[in-house]
Amino acid sequence: MPLHDVGYRTWQGHRRGPWSAAVAIATTGTKLAWTSRWLRRAVFFAWSPALFFAASFFAFEQAIDEGRITSLQERAARGSNLDGIGLLGTILADTLGRSDAAQTHVDRDAELVATRRLVWSRLLLAFMRAPQAVLLAVVVGLVAPALISRDLRAKAWLVYFTRPLSGIHYIAGKIAVLATVVAAVTVLPALALWFAGVLVSPSVWVVVETWDLPLRIVAASVALAIPTVLVALAYSSLTAESRIASFAWFATWAACWIAHSSLATADYVAAMDAHATAVADGLESDDDDWRPPPRRVNWVARAAGVDTTIDRWSWVSPYHAIGVIQAWIFGVETRPEAYVPPLIAMIVVSLVSIVVLAWRVTAPLRA
Amino acid sequence: MIAADDVPARLEGIVKRYGRRTVLDRVTCDVPPGITGLVGPNGAGKSTLVRAMLGLVRLAAGEVRIYGHDPTRNPRAVRQLVGVVPEDECAIPGLAAVEMVRYAARLSGLPGTEALRRAHEVLDWCDAGQERYRPVETLSVGMRQKVAFAAAIVHDPRMVILDEPTNGLDPIERRAMLGRLTTLAHDHGKTVFVSTHVLPDVQAICDRVIVLAAGRVRLEGRLDELTRPVAPQLRLEITGSVAACLDRLAAVGIRGRRLDDDTLHLPVQDAAGLERLWQATRAAGVVVRALTPVQERFEDVFLRAIAQPQEAAHAAS
Repeated sequence: MPLHDVGYRTWQGHRRGPWSAAVAIATTGTKLAWTSRWLRRAVFFAWSPALFFAASFFAFEQAIDEGRITSLQERAARGSNLDGIGLLGTILADTLGRSDAAQTHVDRDAELVATRRLVWSRLLLAFMRAPQAVLLAVVVGLVAPALISRDLRAKAWLVYFTRPLSGIHYIAGKIAVLATVVAAVTVLPALALWFAGVLVSPSVWVVVETWDLPLRIVAASVALAIPTVLVALAYSSLTAESRIASFAWFATWAACWIAHSSLATADYVAAMDAHATAVADGLESDDDDWRPPPRRVNWVARAAGVDTTIDRWSWVSPYHAIGVIQAWIFGVETRPEAYVPPLIAMIVVSLVSIVVLAWRVTAPLRA
Repeated sequence: MIAADDVPARLEGIVKRYGRRTVLDRVTCDVPPGITGLVGPNGAGKSTLVRAMLGLVRLAAGEVRIYGHDPTRNPRAVRQLVGVVPEDECAIPGLAAVEMVRYAARLSGLPGTEALRRAHEVLDWCDAGQERYRPVETLSVGMRQKVAFAAAIVHDPRMVILDEPTNGLDPIERRAMLGRLTTLAHDHGKTVFVSTHVLPDVQAICDRVIVLAAGRVRLEGRLDELTRPVAPQLRLEITGSVAACLDRLAAVGIRGRRLDDDTLHLPVQDAAGLERLWQATRAAGVVVRALTPVQERFEDVFLRAIAQPQEAAHAAS
């Protein structure tokens, strides 16, 4: 018998409630997930787009500091192209072009604050929609499929359900694992980006002007996380083979994206045909520059909220639906007809996922 | 019957059906303090009975009480008091043995540091300390069984339920495991409920036995009572002539039965018979090496119990 073997001893300490079990599930699940080399690489890579966006923040604040914002504003108002500085140029052209402050010079500081808020919001929105949402889909696809299916395969549900915790605590623990991943991929880089914007701005009073943006970042991340995490866990609970859950996850994103593109293209073709017919009938003039609005903007511009057309098929694709909801959260999209359908779609998807998840997780207990 | 307050687990007329198949049919039994064995052939309903005690299956009828708590209505209270070694190997792949046991402790509500201390302590006690840092999926079957046992007792439950606890253990480890169960029951006052089909394990450690077959309780009671023959007999081991001894015994009215060259079974029931037995052996000139009460083998009792027709068995139970 080893020297340190003290035999069996009773334990009289205070036991914590079932939510401490949920915390244990979350911490252990995160630790196990982090052992994946691919996950570590993906999370590291997820921070790299922040560098590009940080440069955009710097360029914008530098323009303000050097007093060039008014000239940019005037150029944008005249319709001049500002795309020379990339995404920032697109956002600036759209933001400043709609302003008449350059002409009036009335209350310029207030106008600058509003411009900064809109530019920062659009940059953060573009950051969260374009690289981070896609990266999040990849990262969740790496982590989530194994979370419940592995327990099913290893018959580990008895480890949990012979202990004083319920299905709710189990599911909460698993959700917390993914919430941690979501935070690592979206919330933390976006908050770091906002902080970088504060650091490169001329005055720390920018914090007061943009105090709500960190809250909007968290809210946008929650909007992104809830449907994605629940769908991924629901898939994981449906099979003991994590590969199948992985395939279903990526297939869903791809299929929905393709479906959205197909429907948008069908709309485009129908509009083209209607326009051609109208021209032939002499009801409209044949303008070479004419294009139906949804095809006139590129993906990044739409991600940044520069596109003002309403994407009526956004609810079909999780990526596009969540993007519209995030634009609403950042105050970039304010039209109910644009954000209500995706909002309803994502709420329905989340509820269905919760039902599937609860049904599958408690299945052994309903035998 | 034992007073209700003293019974850690009480099952009253429980019925469980899977579709049209009745797995547990009006099962009524008590699990008192000490070590109780649940034995039965494969498919008897043992694992379902264990799950019913934990509230892991829905019952068609009947009631289960664990320390007065209903496991279906108040599963948390029951699972605080109970530690379980399931029949299936269940572990979290990727965790080391000590992490697995610590995880089990934390799921039972132990604070992090205490959970780690207890995990090391029980792994040492279960003689699994040397493998504590190896991932559970790489452990041998026997070592995994020890880790599962450690995980079941890490939160110091009042009752330990074990489903086939000696599966995959070599004879030495098996004996050690049975010793641990005895220690828990007799030195630490735990109630141990062992579901198994290994009859020697039951005979080695159990105070009480429930025989289950085809979903019904065929036999229930203290092991020493169940293995006592209907007509009390003594086993006499001698050195000397067995034939002469039998003659002398017959002369004093004791009709013995010869088992082998030095062993007899004698139907002696009282002090007067014992006195006559001593006189006969002295007269026969044999040396008495041992005189012990005859116990039936539990295996024979078990086989008789499960061989009963179902209706007769149900009427008896």
